[in-house]
Amino acid sequence: MTFTWFWIPLVVLLFIWYLTFSANRLDRLHHRAETSWANLDAILQRRAALAIDIAHLPAVDPATNLLLTAAAHQARDADIRDRNEAETGLTQALLILRAEVEIVEAFPQIFSELDSLTERLRVAIALHVEAVNAARGRREKLIYRMFRLAGHAPLPVKYAFEDDSLLEPQR
Amino acid sequence: MKIGFVSPYAWDVPGGVQAHIRDLAHYYQNQGHAVSVLAPATDEGLITESFVVPAGRPVAIPYNGAVARVLFGPVAASRVRQWIATEEFDILHLHEPAIPSLSLLACSIAEGPMVGTFHVAAPRQKVAFAIAPLLEPVIEKLRARIAVSEVARETLRIHLDTDAVVIPNGIGANFFADAKPNPDWRKPRTIGFIGRFSEPRKGLGVLLEALPNIARIFPDVKVLIAGPGEGIEAMQSVNPALRNKLQFLGRINDDEKASFLKSLDLYVAPNTGGESFGIILAEAMAAGVPIVASNIPAFRHLLEEGKYGSLFENEDASSLAEAIIDLFKHDDKREGLSESGLERAQRFDWSQVSDEIMNVFMHARAPEEKVKLNSETRSWTRIFSREDEMT
Repeated sequence: MTFTWFWIPLVVLLFIWYLTFSANRLDRLHHRAETSWANLDAILQRRAALAIDIAHLPAVDPATNLLLTAAAHQARDADIRDRNEAETGLTQALLILRAEVEIVEAFPQIFSELDSLTERLRVAIALHVEAVNAARGRREKLIYRMFRLAGHAPLPVKYAFEDDSLLEPQR
Repeated sequence: MKIGFVSPYAWDVPGGVQAHIRDLAHYYQNQGHAVSVLAPATDEGLITESFVVPAGRPVAIPYNGAVARVLFGPVAASRVRQWIATEEFDILHLHEPAIPSLSLLACSIAEGPMVGTFHVAAPRQKVAFAIAPLLEPVIEKLRARIAVSEVARETLRIHLDTDAVVIPNGIGANFFADAKPNPDWRKPRTIGFIGRFSEPRKGLGVLLEALPNIARIFPDVKVLIAGPGEGIEAMQSVNPALRNKLQFLGRINDDEKASFLKSLDLYVAPNTGGESFGIILAEAMAAGVPIVASNIPAFRHLLEEGKYGSLFENEDASSLAEAIIDLFKHDDKREGLSESGLERAQRFDWSQVSDEIMNVFMHARAPEEKVKLNSETRSWTRIFSREDEMT
């Protein structure tokens, strides 16, 4: 009898330790996903700003200017629900312009900036997708659902624009 | 920015990972960043770089077909703790954090913005699968993972079920491009080989087997072999009439390596496997030497399926002989490879690679964030330090 009384608290303690350890892990993964989203968001904002600069280049015709400016503003001001559509729209608009060889050659500096930003965007997206997958994968585990270890933390999300065609390496 | 690097292997023993950290740390230091490297050291007196903090004497364990000098244990852990607590890094760059050594320790002790770089490419290993569940909670603390090659990325995906950004190893492309050839080595039809040739996976045996076929068509062919090992043993397998075509140079330093590559007509990499990246090929390209390499995955990636070097069937001596003879016969092909290689080598130059790594650093941290000790470790340290005060 005394034997069991000794073991039960020990197992309970161990189990509590395991739960806090697991909750800690998940908390860290949530934090990772938040950081990666903040960084991704910052780069998307810079892309929108750059798109406006490109739209105002003298060689860009008024129609394209309007299209690009509208897309950039939409991407910048979109709330979370419209974000996906807005970013995809901006990517499409930038892709159209990127295909115009004369304009690209006339302004090499701004377009190389766009290319390097695109490259950084690609890395930011890869890291974010990875962080979201890790957090979601952990939340699905039985023990996390049983003990509600996620608490009130929102489920990290991915956006469809993260599969954008602009993000293929251009080499 | 204040950057901390952790090396898993002894700093005073030459190796690819250590060289990578050293060059990267120098590069960032010259750009005005503050750097510190924590590394095991067999002899602290041999460390010349001021930014290296020795963490203790490593122990030798067999790993991936070679001997690795690694460091772990409570003493090492307390060194790591102290280093992290006092330095207040903006980012911690851990190398090979999946190997039981200092980087893994640092990863489990620290909390905050950390990036891990995975160098090694290992085949599917039962051991690796067995320890993966133990590693997972530690490795997932890394905000970003970098693999030095597609092969290393694949290894990571198989063993740890996690993806990585591929950023290649860096080289000082100009260091090799500007090197002077050594007149003693600069002879027509000279083939070069660098590596610990006593290890079968480096593939010297394949090259020696191909030698008779090459010598039949080009009797003036010469093979220069650089790297630590006993040349006499390696020569046993070679026909005595051909032995005068071989020259063993022993271990060479970085300057000698650059002028060695610069003196060659062809560089041959007959490695039969176990390579993750193949930095020597990047260096050979930077020196403008045409390359013949085995078609193992790492080399196929690096040479883009033969675009930047001639590939031969792995472990097939007659295929190797054919490739070499073909290039010796056609000067224009050699020149073409040399020129495209020079251009390609710029992709591996530190100027580009360090920017890509810095970009990952930026993505890994939130503004104003610092590397700290994790809370569990903090509470333990608090308990221990209180005991210290009492005694």
